[in-house]
Amino acid sequence: MIIIGENIHVIAKDVSVAIRERNVKVIQGLTKEQTQSGAHYIDINVGPMKKDTEETMKWLVTNVQEVTDLPLSIDTMNPIAMEAGLKYCKKRALINSASGKTDSKAQMLPLAKKYNCGVVISVMTDKGMPPEVESKIESIMDTVSYANELGIPNEDIWVDPIILPVSTAGEGQNIAVGNLEFIKILQDVLPGVKSTVGLSNISNGVPAHLRPILNRTYLVMLEKNGLYSAIADPLDEELMAFMKGELPAIASLIYRTMEGEEIDLAPLSQKEVAYVKTARVLMAQSLYSDAWLES
Amino acid sequence: MEYKAPKEAYKGMVREVTIGKGEKAMKVGGENILPFHFFDEGSLPNPPRFALEVLDMEPAEKTPHLIEPFGDVISDPIKWAKKCEGFGVDAICLTLVSTDPAEKDTSAEMAAQLVKRMLAEIKKPLIVYGSGDEKKDAEVLPKVAQVCAGENLLIGPVQKENFEAVGKAVLDNGHVAIAQSPIDINLLKELNVKLCKFLPPERVIIDPLSSALGYGIEYSFSLIERVKQIGVITKDSMTMMPIIANLGAECWKTKQAKENKTQGLLWEGMTALSLYLAGANILVLRHPETLKSIKETIGR
Repeated sequence: MIIIGENIHVIAKDVSVAIRERNVKVIQGLTKEQTQSGAHYIDINVGPMKKDTEETMKWLVTNVQEVTDLPLSIDTMNPIAMEAGLKYCKKRALINSASGKTDSKAQMLPLAKKYNCGVVISVMTDKGMPPEVESKIESIMDTVSYANELGIPNEDIWVDPIILPVSTAGEGQNIAVGNLEFIKILQDVLPGVKSTVGLSNISNGVPAHLRPILNRTYLVMLEKNGLYSAIADPLDEELMAFMKGELPAIASLIYRTMEGEEIDLAPLSQKEVAYVKTARVLMAQSLYSDAWLES
Repeated sequence: MEYKAPKEAYKGMVREVTIGKGEKAMKVGGENILPFHFFDEGSLPNPPRFALEVLDMEPAEKTPHLIEPFGDVISDPIKWAKKCEGFGVDAICLTLVSTDPAEKDTSAEMAAQLVKRMLAEIKKPLIVYGSGDEKKDAEVLPKVAQVCAGENLLIGPVQKENFEAVGKAVLDNGHVAIAQSPIDINLLKELNVKLCKFLPPERVIIDPLSSALGYGIEYSFSLIERVKQIGVITKDSMTMMPIIANLGAECWKTKQAKENKTQGLLWEGMTALSLYLAGANILVLRHPETLKSIKETIGR
């Protein structure tokens, strides 16, 4: 599993302050930590970035590259900021992200060709988020074929089904199940494309101390279905341990839950029980509540 | 070839809960089918019950056609309750609105004494709602529970802010709790999980909050429907409780219900009928004529 380290993210207060004050130490510290923890890409999420675009991107990209040999993922919806970042990337970068929206197709996708880099393409279209697995597949097939016509091969396309919070009343759990299904069939409909997800969105809105177990369990499930990469937190040691195959017993419990087996919880350790319960919630086998580990 | 209609059997079952004791005892829930799926395997042993609401103070809002049936007893909750019994109710629902700090801030002790006196006077099981002020309810409802110990009242609302205090008093004094959450199935389950860590699930009834026609009834309808589906179809222990739809007050708050009598009765009636069909096990109404027309409609 290719891990794109998510920690340089403008929503994090220390990061936004560091960017504003040009604090090299904070940015380079996060870069080094993620590199040492085994990330494969460093994501630089700058949000929409309305001012000092060119200068800020240059500062960020140059300083990050000073302390890592990893390739970068430039994360913004703003094509001007995107190009400003790509110009300074030494390694083959990743555009994060484009979509099936008219603007994005016109302004973002051509950058992948121009700078010869990979590009994340989400299932989003002008109509918004396609509601069903089938419509997500239809929309991504359209956008990918558009990208192919621009000369971007499937191998450079990283498809993003868009993860939404599992805790969203009503639909959250069904969407989580749908995205697992989407990843499972993606290779059949678009052979050769890569895939990625914004993993931590699955646990958005959930009490902070309960988020990691949701993120880890969902990533194990997605990997089982063939996910290629994830934008995630490489500093989560247990998450990385799963990805290195160091927790096979728990992973197998998660797989069995995915297959619908009703696992007897009695002989399991507390930690194993927690993972099985989490997998049940993510498979919509049991109704989500913030107290899912307690019931 | 002969056509054979498919027949579903479900693994879950709504718990049967008893409210009141002795001759007053009333059972609710107990069905192992989806609402009114009589064509499936299973039964609905206890039909949905109807209660009329009584307030512990003269209502501030004096909509004439709502007050009219109780004109002479409106300032005396016990007489009001007895009058309701004459209209063929299954239960009385007393709402302690006057305990609200924004109303009269009536003391917990006074409120509890009123409940006790009413209990002695009426022949039907009693449902007691606090004002909904979660802090004040945490004083008032435990006091009611203590003063009426052993009477198996249905007491609420138990909310996430006060479930420990109120739930404990319900448990210690032998009553049933109304667990209330704001029209959200995930929060509803969370509250039940927390409450049922110390209170047996047979002592819990769900109040999902019932919105009036035109004011969000769709949300209440689909929530009740979903609670039943998850309980009966997937056997989720934390949603297999009966449901109370406390809708009377919500309906009579609306401009449409206040405007004129026919419209008001229809507003309350259509709201009640909808939530009845969604699967509510107890429905709390305000107007006796609504009760009458609902009973005629469902023909029993």
